[in-house]
Amino acid sequence: MMESGGSLIAVRDLTIGYGGRVVLDKLNFEVRRGEVFAILGASGSGKSTLLKHMIGLHQPLAGEVLISGENLAGAEGPARLRILRKFGVLYQSSALFGSLTALENVRLPLDEFTNLSEDAKDLIALSKLRLVGLETSATKLPSDLSGGMQKRAGIARAIVLDPCILFLDEPSAGLDPITSAGLDALIRELAKGLNMTFVMVTHELASIFAVANRVIVLDPRVRGIVAEGPPSYLREHAAQPWVRHFLKREAA
Amino acid sequence: MFFVPVFIFSRYGEHSQTKGDPIPMGLPGEAAWMAAHPAQSPRRGCLMPSNEAAGLSVRWDVLKAEGAALLTLHGGLDAVSTPVAWEALEKELKPGGFTSLEIDASDLAYCDSAGLALLYYLYAGRMTPGATVRMSGLTSELQNLSGSFSIADLTALRGHHPPRRSFPEELGAATAAWFHDLREQVEFIGEVAVDLAGSIFRPRRMRWGEVFRVFETAGVNALPIVSLITLLVGMVISFESAQPLAQLGAQVYVANLLGLVMTRELGPVMAAIMLAGRSGSAFAAELGTMKVNEELNALHTMGLSPVQFLVVQRVMAGVLLTPVLTLYAMFAGLVGGVPVLLGLGFPLKMVLQQIQSAVHYGDLAEGLCKSMVFGLVVSSVSCLRGLQTGVGPQAVGESTTRSVVSSILLIILSDAVIASVTYTLRQ
Repeated sequence: MMESGGSLIAVRDLTIGYGGRVVLDKLNFEVRRGEVFAILGASGSGKSTLLKHMIGLHQPLAGEVLISGENLAGAEGPARLRILRKFGVLYQSSALFGSLTALENVRLPLDEFTNLSEDAKDLIALSKLRLVGLETSATKLPSDLSGGMQKRAGIARAIVLDPCILFLDEPSAGLDPITSAGLDALIRELAKGLNMTFVMVTHELASIFAVANRVIVLDPRVRGIVAEGPPSYLREHAAQPWVRHFLKREAA
Repeated sequence: MFFVPVFIFSRYGEHSQTKGDPIPMGLPGEAAWMAAHPAQSPRRGCLMPSNEAAGLSVRWDVLKAEGAALLTLHGGLDAVSTPVAWEALEKELKPGGFTSLEIDASDLAYCDSAGLALLYYLYAGRMTPGATVRMSGLTSELQNLSGSFSIADLTALRGHHPPRRSFPEELGAATAAWFHDLREQVEFIGEVAVDLAGSIFRPRRMRWGEVFRVFETAGVNALPIVSLITLLVGMVISFESAQPLAQLGAQVYVANLLGLVMTRELGPVMAAIMLAGRSGSAFAAELGTMKVNEELNALHTMGLSPVQFLVVQRVMAGVLLTPVLTLYAMFAGLVGGVPVLLGLGFPLKMVLQQIQSAVHYGDLAEGLCKSMVFGLVVSSVSCLRGLQTGVGPQAVGESTTRSVVSSILLIILSDAVIASVTYTLRQ
């Protein structure tokens, strides 16, 4: 079980880019245990790129991402696997395996990383699907699920090994407002109920105001963070007018 | 700590919280149980040093008396320790024939989803069929989380059998699908041939830049592999035919055989097969990806025909390209066979004379005409397979495979038809 309070993720002097081009320079921020943390910014500001560096898909040009004090970028072999087990990821496209049913998708990490019996694995996978309201769709293939259901199945798969952090890349992308609101409610409940820490990249300001405790706003012109704080506070008091405008325009 | 209510989402994403059925608590504790069951068997459990040495965090005791059992859990149940405990407890409890099982989890310091699954499984009586099971000592957070587990879901899963068709139904459906597919292929080739003919009469409608791009990527870049394969094929044919013909004292006719086989048959067929494997698959993958990316839908909604816009150029390139590749394949095959004949002691002049006497312009024309048919068939079917791409990550791969298989099948089929017709005409 997890403790409360304290920093769970620490980004220190992180510089990221491609082919010598720096996208974000010397980023510093922390994500606290149990909070829903959102990364905001205009298109092309490097939000998804930052997320990919935080989950270790890309190597930074400089700096480090510490997850529970361990640097993912420098870790290899079992140490890397141990850090990877601390978080789950929901990708923008859900990234469910098309040839596997929803249940098989959720069971996959259990099959690969545990020696549990078949009954145990099915029970756990079904309980995660029940948590996201998909227990009656367990035997369906991803192609038979709607976009919102695929996202929820993706969340079930991401939390099946009880990670303490869940990274979400554009969780509301392509969803209608009602389904998106349902997903927000699920995030809120998982954060509260499992004391999970959420890091999400999103454009949906309605989602941010519904679930996020704290946000950072990225600006490609300064290649860094221009605002950090609770979204409702930044909407009224951000130093940069464009950040206030950005948050007000969509929130209205 | 844990507190997870069960969510129920409607299909529209509406969401309401309802409690599941958490495991109810209610057990007086070990002392009371022991007082109630004075005739106990010796304490059994896994207070085993081997488990501690293996770093397992869980320990348990099983007390048994008069068909009743008390299971006390200590330490932590996680993804590592749970499988061991699960297996051991199943062996311990299942054959016991217990009428009641009482589980004391008050000493359990840690429990993740795997551990909770074990507790729920025990509580649901899956290890003690028919027994009354009671549990105590579970924290309220874990108790609430247990509401997300459901034996009914597991039973429904085990009872789920996807609908299966009988063998005759499968066979019938597969045959019908095969004929339907063949009809689609023939129709598509016909449609493309008509569009192609139309483009010849109205050449300005054709996007010649695209034709030349395909011509270059599918043709020029294919020359090295065509050279290597046909050179070796020519060499192999010469070697393989030299021995039997030597037994008849007709070894010099190896040159005639080589010339005829390469011009009439192997030149066109090998070039077409390489076109299918190298370029046809690329056509299918390219169009398949365009379909997945909805580029084809964009063409439809702009009022453009994907056949006119994408397919005709590729087929035109294929039809123009295959005779050139075939001519090159014929030449490379002869180049591969001639050194073998020189090695057998025949002078070059004699070999060339033999080839010249055996191969007529008609044979060359037959080979080239055949190759144009192959070009039409391979390019059209490959494009069709690309346009037929379905959904899902494996769809483009499937289209590519189907394009190669269908192309080779149609090459051989059309080759057989052409061979029968030309044989009849020669009579």
